[in-house]
Amino acid sequence: MPGIMLAFQRYTISGFKYWVGFENFKYVFNTPFFWRAFRNNWVFVAFSYVFITPAPILFALMLNEIRVRWYKKTVQTISTLPNFVTWVVIAGIFMQLLSPTRGYVNQVIEFFGGESIYFLSKPALFPWLFTFMRIWKGVGYSSIIYLAALAGVDPQLYEAAVIDGAGRLKQTWHVTLPGIRNTIVVLVVLSFSRVLNGLFEPIFVLKNAYIESTAEILSTYIYNLGITRGKYYLATAIGLFKMLISMFLLFMANFLSKHVTEDGRSIL
Amino acid sequence: MLQRSIGEKVFNVFNIIGFFLFTMLMLIPIMFVIKTSLDISQIGEVQLNLLPVEPSLLFYRMVVKDESVYRPFINSIIITISGTSLSMVINSLGAYTLSKRELAGNRFFIYFLIIIPMIFSGGIVPTYLLIRSLGLIDTLPVLFVPNAANAWNMILIRNYYWSIPKSLSESARIDGAQEFTVFFKIILPLAKPVLAAIALFTGVGYWNTFMMAVIYIRDARKYTFPVKLRELIILGGDAEKNLEEMLMQLGLDPTEYFLSVEGLSSAMMIVSMVPIILVYPYLQKYFAKGLMIGSIKG
Repeated sequence: MPGIMLAFQRYTISGFKYWVGFENFKYVFNTPFFWRAFRNNWVFVAFSYVFITPAPILFALMLNEIRVRWYKKTVQTISTLPNFVTWVVIAGIFMQLLSPTRGYVNQVIEFFGGESIYFLSKPALFPWLFTFMRIWKGVGYSSIIYLAALAGVDPQLYEAAVIDGAGRLKQTWHVTLPGIRNTIVVLVVLSFSRVLNGLFEPIFVLKNAYIESTAEILSTYIYNLGITRGKYYLATAIGLFKMLISMFLLFMANFLSKHVTEDGRSIL
Repeated sequence: MLQRSIGEKVFNVFNIIGFFLFTMLMLIPIMFVIKTSLDISQIGEVQLNLLPVEPSLLFYRMVVKDESVYRPFINSIIITISGTSLSMVINSLGAYTLSKRELAGNRFFIYFLIIIPMIFSGGIVPTYLLIRSLGLIDTLPVLFVPNAANAWNMILIRNYYWSIPKSLSESARIDGAQEFTVFFKIILPLAKPVLAAIALFTGVGYWNTFMMAVIYIRDARKYTFPVKLRELIILGGDAEKNLEEMLMQLGLDPTEYFLSVEGLSSAMMIVSMVPIILVYPYLQKYFAKGLMIGSIKG
């Protein structure tokens, strides 16, 4: 906590600290690199909510329709494993797959007569590739909670729906989805407070000089500025700014969860 | 038994095929890495099959032989074992204290020691400066001591303690047991499932320690395995030279081999996944349970 004071201070060369008020913040807000990281950060947040949040729900709904138990179990076992593997390895796997010289994907492209592409050096592609990797790594694990919720839906409701003449699609829409609605809402609301965190490791390992313009996010920017280049006070100012946003989102999530969940429990 | 229409049958077939393709999408990358790690054939030919052309365990022998590779592996084992044990001791004991609602200052501890630090953190830079002024840079304990007490896990364990009937510990009290006896003889054995689950997750977390090591470790002898991996895979480094040296260490003539760096890093990736695959059946047994505890009490 006392470390936060750094955001309002500066050092002289001799190590003497003095107060500068909001000067550090002013300086940071005037650098384009800060805004680039800020913007990219929100782009990734948007991608998470548009693609990464629905993916496990869809996955669970589809998997739930499979009646062959051993098949279901096998799919689940395989798809959950990457969640426990570190991002360094995941990044390594994809870098090899996408490598322009020996990568499998480019070998397939060349086999069909195409030009090989260095996927991980294209700034415009990066958010998509990154989203794909996040789904690849996390979809199985995230779907477990939805599958558990699906198992809790009362079978009598399905029987009633069948008697009313509902097909599989209608059953999903009118019985299954309302049945797991609460779980979805709670998980989405809970994730608000974490949107700005948790991306450091994957971005840090995947980032390279070519794609910095779309890959740099606040936490990697803080790392570069503070740890690598030693501008402690500026980095702390950004860190504090980021924390304030996270806190605001957390309180918002808490407020929402009181109003949205059935029993009005708060998350704090 | 439900009647199935043609539409449903078609859907079922597509669903099963869809999941088969999905599983392939998960498996092919991993198979490709396994293939690369076993293949010492020449670079450059286009091969679409996933079987090694010239199978050999050479890359794995390099991993075992070269100190710059196996030392990070040992470091990772050290921090996994000591980190998990330390963390479990602190969290299970801390949770026991927090579970005593009648204890004076209980609310104070929960808010000021657990929840507030969970939300307000100084961010990485002040933490880094603190660690540096404590002289902990480039030591292994920095990777598991500062984060040993985990607020989230402590609350999970506390909630589990609450679900144990009070009458059990009360009857032990009547038989003359003190607080420690109650804890070790009654509470701990009953809380075994949740403790085992949390220990497994904590262990996997420590095994994958990367970010902390990047920030706090400069000395290559103290690298964790993921950091070493990143150095090889992503930064490349002077890998060609390294490979030559490693071949000489194995007593082989470097001029006879045309090896790719990818092979070595693939072998390392596989090695780093092996412990996880080994504990995976146990993880699988527990993770549904762990997730449920988190979601219900969260």
